[in-house]
Amino acid sequence: MLVKEIMTRNVVAIGPDTPIRDVQALMEQRNIRHFPILEGRSGGAGSDHLLGIVSDRDLRLVGADHPKAPKGVTASHPVRDVMVPEVLVAHPEDPVEETAKVLRDNKIGAMPVMDDGRLVGIVTGIDMLDALVRMSGVKGASSRLEVELVDRPGALAGLLDRVASRNINVSSVLTARADEASVTFVLRVGTLDGHGLAAHLRGLGYNVLWPPETTEA
Amino acid sequence: MSEGAQRVVFVYDPRMARFELHPDHPFKPLRVELSRSLLTSTGLLADSETVPPTPLADDDLLSVHDRAYVEAVKALSAGGPTTGAARWGLGTADNPIFAGMHELVRLVCAGTVTALDAVASGAATRALNLGGGLHHALQDRASGFCVYNDLALAIRRAVDRYGLRVAYVDLDAHHGDGVQWLFYEDPNVMTISLHESGEYLFPGTGHVYETGKGPGRGLSVNVPLEPYTDDESYLAAFDAVVPRALRAFAPDVIVLQAGADSNHFDPLADLSQTLEGMRQAYLRVVALADELTGGRLVATGGGGYDPYRTVPRAWAHLWAAMTGRELPAELPPAWAETWRGRLPADTTLPDRALDGPSDFAPSRNREQVARRNAVVVARVVAALDEIWQDTGLGRGVTSR
Repeated sequence: MLVKEIMTRNVVAIGPDTPIRDVQALMEQRNIRHFPILEGRSGGAGSDHLLGIVSDRDLRLVGADHPKAPKGVTASHPVRDVMVPEVLVAHPEDPVEETAKVLRDNKIGAMPVMDDGRLVGIVTGIDMLDALVRMSGVKGASSRLEVELVDRPGALAGLLDRVASRNINVSSVLTARADEASVTFVLRVGTLDGHGLAAHLRGLGYNVLWPPETTEA
Repeated sequence: MSEGAQRVVFVYDPRMARFELHPDHPFKPLRVELSRSLLTSTGLLADSETVPPTPLADDDLLSVHDRAYVEAVKALSAGGPTTGAARWGLGTADNPIFAGMHELVRLVCAGTVTALDAVASGAATRALNLGGGLHHALQDRASGFCVYNDLALAIRRAVDRYGLRVAYVDLDAHHGDGVQWLFYEDPNVMTISLHESGEYLFPGTGHVYETGKGPGRGLSVNVPLEPYTDDESYLAAFDAVVPRALRAFAPDVIVLQAGADSNHFDPLADLSQTLEGMRQAYLRVVALADELTGGRLVATGGGGYDPYRTVPRAWAHLWAAMTGRELPAELPPAWAETWRGRLPADTTLPDRALDGPSDFAPSRNREQVARRNAVVVARVVAALDEIWQDTGLGRGVTSR
């Protein structure tokens, strides 16, 4: 999955001389937490000059009784006085995993997405969560099947084959855990009788972790 | 309302119980016949209470299903070519194509619609169709053993023909997804489903935040329960959510899907109810109907894959609850006698009305399961209260 598939395209960028109180108002009205700051953005061709980024946290600290509050800065100052000038940026074709790692390692909440010198979007931690929900989401009526496989070529293919031969569709495959020797997959399978499928697979020697074995009296 | 003024009807046609989807298929329509014979052998069901389904025409299915879908089912049912059947959810492990499928499922639907007509017209106060309860079927797709959605057809008719507000209560272990999606934006229908969480069980939906949309906002209620949920935790969840939702909505009629697969012994789900717990839930729904709808209740069967030991007793308790009667603690030997030699080898029918904690060990992680369910229930109530505040549901009806 790539950044361009999860980023927000409709970015609200602001100029460096915008008064802080205007940006604060915009933050509240539009429920936005990160603003890229551009130098004199022009409508036509040419590139965007990204000067910095400002977050809701930076804006809220203005005038606050807090050790990290910017000294001597008031709400009437331009936003350039509180922006973070060195901005980490993402590219639309970046893998989401990589961007997630950059966000996490630098403890930042968002990255502007730049393509060929133009600001084309913004990607945030929330976008990452949405992507996670989407990837693990249920598409169509299905049952959970959790199987631990030996980590070798053909193991997953073999399992999928067994499921297919029962005329049951697989709509999703997720890796739940992986270690040296084994991988645990969570599949969504298109049958109400997940227990019957599990019993069948157990009979073939598979280590099925869910659904559980049916208890008999 | 006095007991004498009520009439309760049992909708039945032997054809509904005497077909098979496939010999190895876990859905056994014979459960209906086993339940009925248990009721007649205990004297709880009289011939005079039994009514046949009034047949439905194909066009009657179109209030819920697409014409193209109905035509496809008909063609497949008559032995037509099966290429492309998967597009309709048919010819799969769950929904195999069998000869006469269209006519049989249409008959099942006729049963539930007949039950609704009986109640809505005032001919009866309550009505039961044990062959019904096909809650997974969608507008243009078979799913989870269900081809046509009898419940949705009955609810649609209650709204369109009789102008009623309908509350749908689904006690099947699986989320009542088909009915929920078919009425997700409908202001006249509230759907309530208690089920094993979709994280673990088919169909995967029924999460707390599926609460309805547009004019139906706040009218979809879901209580996803942990695997191994026992009677105490189940009934606590029921008591916290169902009466509150029904009182806020103030329906004219309740439609109950009483799938019997929430029982401990069910091989296709992981809830851990006893028959007594299930009976308590049925009694609660009947009492809520008495309180809110003048008793008006339409009930169906549904899931239930422990067809000999559990389902007949569960549904006999359901009929008993609907008629204010009680199943005798010791079941008459004549019942098992009727079936001697007609059931698979090694099958013994039970001789007592209830299973109980003595029949199986207490559920695993009992306290942990109950704590987790309590958290989910609190979330359901908070989410709905917030929406209802906004939409004004229940305002001026009752505040408690």
